[in-house]
Amino acid sequence: MLICSVDSSATPASVCLFEDDKIIAEYYLNTGFTHSQTLMAMLESVLRISDKRAEDIDLYAVNSGPGSFTGVRIGVSAVKGMAYAQDKPCVEVSTLESMAYNFLGSHAIICACMDARRRQVYHGLFRVDGNTVERLCDDKAIAVDDLLSGLPDREEIILVGDGAELVFQSAADPLITLAPPNRRYQRASSVALAAVETYNRGEVVSPAALMPRYLRLSQAERERNAKIKQEQDGAL
Amino acid sequence: MRVTTSCARETEQLGEKLASVLKGKEMIALFGDLGAGKTAFTRGLCAGLGVADGVCSPTFAIVNAYQGKYPVYHFDMYRIADLDDLFATGFYDYIGNGVIIIEWSENIESELEPDCIRIRIEKTDNENERIFEIRGMDDDADLFG
Repeated sequence: MLICSVDSSATPASVCLFEDDKIIAEYYLNTGFTHSQTLMAMLESVLRISDKRAEDIDLYAVNSGPGSFTGVRIGVSAVKGMAYAQDKPCVEVSTLESMAYNFLGSHAIICACMDARRRQVYHGLFRVDGNTVERLCDDKAIAVDDLLSGLPDREEIILVGDGAELVFQSAADPLITLAPPNRRYQRASSVALAAVETYNRGEVVSPAALMPRYLRLSQAERERNAKIKQEQDGAL
Repeated sequence: MRVTTSCARETEQLGEKLASVLKGKEMIALFGDLGAGKTAFTRGLCAGLGVADGVCSPTFAIVNAYQGKYPVYHFDMYRIADLDDLFATGFYDYIGNGVIIIEWSENIESELEPDCIRIRIEKTDNENERIFEIRGMDDDADLFG
């Protein structure tokens, strides 16, 4: 089975062709260039260079959120269009979960954090034990300090994602470490690995049902916003 | 800083002056009623950044993107009612990627960056006169030096 996986959920973008438990081609870019200009070029490139055609793809997988509004939409729309044209099934992958798959083969808790501005992160917690990834909480938007106070202690925790450094700066526990650069960010090969598990559970969707999955800002943040607005209404 | 302009042309010139001290990633929040001169000010700012395109209020488009010396993202928040609306404009993705200038900042005040430049425009008894109250500029940025 040939899987085509895509990530454009934040600043990096990547595409991967994954066939029978093997990464056969992957293209990763972290330049800050506009995904709408790079994503299809990358897809075209990996297909051509690996001598595959769009109709060879059996399953599409995409990081469907959380992430930037525009980035997630570009990835989901691109996959939706390609899958619809060939009438192929799709798998939605949580961006946070996909990053836990960067650490397959390890034995650690993976704390995935994406910067959501104002000291908030999109966050998910996973236990990686060799070849299995177990989700420990639902994806959520949370303040950095609340995240840190809720982490398990006496366990090795690895921070991944573009919010990892932000969280690491406030972390006091020596068991909390930062993922190395080659495993720090979301990438399409990990999306494919996560998608295999999802597919095996039968959780596929039609191209029409494929949707962006955004996380709402937490209630605490909304209340804080309201308070700031009140304070500023008089100021200027 | 308070600046008084006596006509739309002077308001545009004030925008041009502000443009000359920008570094390319600032957020500029405009406050003021209909007809206050927000768009005139933005027109001047864009001219100062070398934007060749026509500048108009993106009341229905929500955001216009211009390319000058820096990318300029011109928002009109008149129709933005809540944070979900704002999120759906992609507003947060633009922050830090160019100069952001916002009309009707009143509607998204909690979401303005803490270091943004705030400009309140007020009308006076003289029909074409406007008072600009500017806050959040660098102390060393002198618009009138």
